[in-house]
Amino acid sequence: MTLFHFFNCAILTFGPHAVYYSATPLSEYDTLGTSVKAAVVYLATALVKLVCLATFLQVSETEVFDPYQEALKAMIGFIDVAGLYYALAQLTHRNISQNHKFQAVGLGWAFADSVLHRLAPLWVGARGLEFTWDYVLQGLEANANLVFTISLAALGSLMWLRKNKPKSLIPIIYTCAVIIATMPSITSYLKRVNGWHFPKIVGFELATSLVMAFISCQLFILCQRPSL
Amino acid sequence: MAEEKKSKQRHRVMVFESMYPILALMLILVACVELCDAATVVDVYRLIQYDISGVPFGSRFSSLNHHAASLSFQRGADLSRSVLILPLRELDIAFVQDYISQKQSLGGLLILLPQTFRPGNVGGGSLSSENDGFRSLLGQLEKLLVHGNIPFPVYFAFENEETDAMLADVKKNDALGQQATATTGGYKLVISVSEPRKIASPTITNIQGWLPGLRAEGDSSQLPTIAVVASYDTFGAAPALSVGSDSNGSGVVALLEVARLFSVLYSNPKTRGKYNLLFALTSGGPYNYEGTQKWLKSLDQRMRESIDYAICLNSVGSWDSELLIHVSKPPDNAYIKQIFEGFSNVAEDLGFQVALKHKKINISNSRVAWEHEQFSRLRVTAATLSELSTPPELLENAGSLSDTRQLVNEDAIIKGVKLVAESLAKHIYGHQGKDIKIFADDSSLAVNPFYVRSWLDLLSQTPRVAPFLSKNEPLIMALKKELEDYTAEVSVQHESLDGSFTFYDSTKASLNIYQVASVTFDLLLLLVLGSYLIVLFSFLVITTRGLDDLISLFRRPPSRKVKMG
Repeated sequence: MTLFHFFNCAILTFGPHAVYYSATPLSEYDTLGTSVKAAVVYLATALVKLVCLATFLQVSETEVFDPYQEALKAMIGFIDVAGLYYALAQLTHRNISQNHKFQAVGLGWAFADSVLHRLAPLWVGARGLEFTWDYVLQGLEANANLVFTISLAALGSLMWLRKNKPKSLIPIIYTCAVIIATMPSITSYLKRVNGWHFPKIVGFELATSLVMAFISCQLFILCQRPSL
Repeated sequence: MAEEKKSKQRHRVMVFESMYPILALMLILVACVELCDAATVVDVYRLIQYDISGVPFGSRFSSLNHHAASLSFQRGADLSRSVLILPLRELDIAFVQDYISQKQSLGGLLILLPQTFRPGNVGGGSLSSENDGFRSLLGQLEKLLVHGNIPFPVYFAFENEETDAMLADVKKNDALGQQATATTGGYKLVISVSEPRKIASPTITNIQGWLPGLRAEGDSSQLPTIAVVASYDTFGAAPALSVGSDSNGSGVVALLEVARLFSVLYSNPKTRGKYNLLFALTSGGPYNYEGTQKWLKSLDQRMRESIDYAICLNSVGSWDSELLIHVSKPPDNAYIKQIFEGFSNVAEDLGFQVALKHKKINISNSRVAWEHEQFSRLRVTAATLSELSTPPELLENAGSLSDTRQLVNEDAIIKGVKLVAESLAKHIYGHQGKDIKIFADDSSLAVNPFYVRSWLDLLSQTPRVAPFLSKNEPLIMALKKELEDYTAEVSVQHESLDGSFTFYDSTKASLNIYQVASVTFDLLLLLVLGSYLIVLFSFLVITTRGLDDLISLFRRPPSRKVKMG
């Protein structure tokens, strides 16, 4: 593979973030500052997660799926939810509507995640001579991750920023939020116990992200009706 | 407003500050991981490159950077930028011969050898008939490559899972007509080595050991001497694989064992003979025994004149029931007759035969086929003991790729050692005609099979092409130390190889195998990604702003034109 392939994979990985920003009304409401703040919060959260993983997690020699270790990893993964809460609820945002706020936060969060997790492997691997489908699949996974993050931000916005939501929807909101937050553990389980390969996992992530996006969108719309 | 600007600047500074460590980390990662870029790395061994009096031979290039091709390619296809992969199992010698003789252009040649030909692979004796076929085929191929002038890189490698998988893929693609090029992807083979350089003043090293005989009191005359000589260096198509187990590893092992046996006898004054024993391990064997010639000339004249006869050991490791004694003097010569009778009597006792083979020396011909001819040219009685019935041609039978450990039979070497040792002993102690066995199997002077096996295993793993050996080569030091253990007055002689032979370095390399994608594939991928982003953009605009806004995006330019007008 060549630099050309690197550009292709980079477009697939980071292009949707730019497209989302320019296509939606976010670009007209000056939400870039919010996205940048969310990215900074993401970096801090990633650092805290790294310290917790290094402190509490035991690296096993074998690749056996350890339920205790996986549960611990999922609990550490909830630090992401705490970080997202901070980005949504605690940061001061200048006169941005709730509708745009969660999208800006989700977008910044997902972009920072892609840069931190995928840019270095992409630069190192996609420019090498050896061709593999891994980097194309990683780009697709970044797309799924973007959808997941915006969905989680939408649900977080409903949970923490909207007070008068219908009571019948609250369990659904929390269930979907938990599913999205534990998605890394779910994919890890599918990979190790069920023996799924990377292409299958990426397909599963894409399908699940679309379903979650649809459900989150519907929940958001339903929660907005009483205010109308 | 001023406060807002200040806060913006602070945010930017924060962002930049946090970005710097990440960038540094990425750069470090790039630097570290760049080194392990290839998916598969295979050790390859280069075909030798040499000149004889300025005439070029062997493979004349070393670096490789081409796509892989197999024998399934379309007839008439241009292979000037392809590396042809030839497994020995499917080799068609006529095809290679045509390609070389017609000076066809080729990007490179990679010959895959079965694992049984790997040096040091003792292995089981299974499938010996199949290996014999491969051995014969490899011999023909080697002869063709060594004596040709090949204008492309030629490398040998051993089959493994990666090479087999790659070859299967390449064959499939070639059969479909999708030859690997820059636009169709495939496998790319890369060997990054510098241009081969001439080896300046290659050296050959001779090792000599001396067992002095028992001199009677008051006798001032020179004691007669018997010399046992073996050449230890090799020559093969791939210098890094040229171990020469039989030619002449077996001869070296036999000489060392004979030296060990006689050192036991000569260490006791009661059993010391009245002959001096001279053991020599010579180099330059493939090049007309040039090392032997220089060693003989360096000998003191009185020493050389005292040589009663010399026995040269050459390829005694894979015979069954007959050995040959090659001589240059007429068979009816009294000395030759005496030597032959001594050997044939001992052989008869041991249960096999020796035959006499006479080959007259053509003085005007510079070719020296047997080591003993160097002695005969100086009027010293000498003979070569060998399993070969015909003299080898120049640079042949001197440690080829097929001359591996599996080819050599320890029992054959042991029988050869007994033959030489008993014959020498009868000559030294005057036991001609008597039925006395000095080196019987159950005596303290028995031939040690473990000694033979361990030295044979060592030599079977050590390439020994003389121009590529340094003066302090570990093997040469080991041979010298071994002779020091068994003989007195060990001396090492360094000589320069004749100017008519020129050798080039770069005998071993690493082959990187990349599975590459084509530019066409990346162009298609770019189109797909572009379409995806366009569809994504449209979808997002429709869902967030409505269809009217999407349509209005494409109507703005006409409205602007109207405004301008």
